[in-house]
Amino acid sequence: MELMAKVAFCVYTLVILGGSIFAVSSSSLVRALVGLITTLVGVSGMYLLLATPFMAFMQLLIYVGAVSVLIFFAIMLTRAEAGGDEGNSAPMRTYVLGLAATMAPAGILGWLVLTKPVESIAVPVEISIKELGAGLLGTYFLPFELISVILMVAMAGAVLLTWEKRGKK
Amino acid sequence: MSALTLYQIVALMLLCAGLFGLTQRRSLVGMLISVELMLNGAGLSLVAAAQLTEFSATLGQLGTLFVMGLAAAEATLVLAIIVVVAKRFGSAQTSDITTLKE
Repeated sequence: MELMAKVAFCVYTLVILGGSIFAVSSSSLVRALVGLITTLVGVSGMYLLLATPFMAFMQLLIYVGAVSVLIFFAIMLTRAEAGGDEGNSAPMRTYVLGLAATMAPAGILGWLVLTKPVESIAVPVEISIKELGAGLLGTYFLPFELISVILMVAMAGAVLLTWEKRGKK
Repeated sequence: MSALTLYQIVALMLLCAGLFGLTQRRSLVGMLISVELMLNGAGLSLVAAAQLTEFSATLGQLGTLFVMGLAAAEATLVLAIIVVVAKRFGSAQTSDITTLKE
């Protein structure tokens, strides 16, 4: 069974790596979105490996179900060009500076992760949805209420921003 | 190498891909896609750290749920902003949106 877990981890890592490279390098935004969805499915597989099936389900429901559809709407509403929005490639200077900006935090964080390893439990324990619900309505009640307020405000703000008065045009 | 280190490296990979995409993309939607990649890396790192150490697993999972909720709210608002910008400037490329006031 341990071998199976290792194989699954490698497969999900490859899916995440391939999807994320596709998502940042593709010249067509719709293809980049497909890369993003591949990555999201890979991360949900990682959640399954960590014995958190509820998080995997929420990942599929919220990200793959809702956020990717929102991004697809954004692509359609901005009249994406057929030849790809990222057609002419960036100048070399932007590329080098972007790579440096990526490598600086990656180097520091990678060095910390590799040199100060934390002892980890071999088999993670699955906690039930009941406990999560008890946590939401008990200890973490305030953030639970605040996130609903934030979602309400975001929804109202989005409607207000794109509002057009009738007969204005 | 412990299991937690492997998961953290995968999360770091997602962060790098997102950061690099954020600097390279020239359209607002492409930048939104990169930000979602980074938020996913953060969620994966949180859940891995909570599940594989003695830390409270409930807090880790609920924290990631809140990250997901914030990501959904953020995507909604960014979509609205992109639509407004596209309507006003005629495109959603960052190079076209450099004027402050006409």
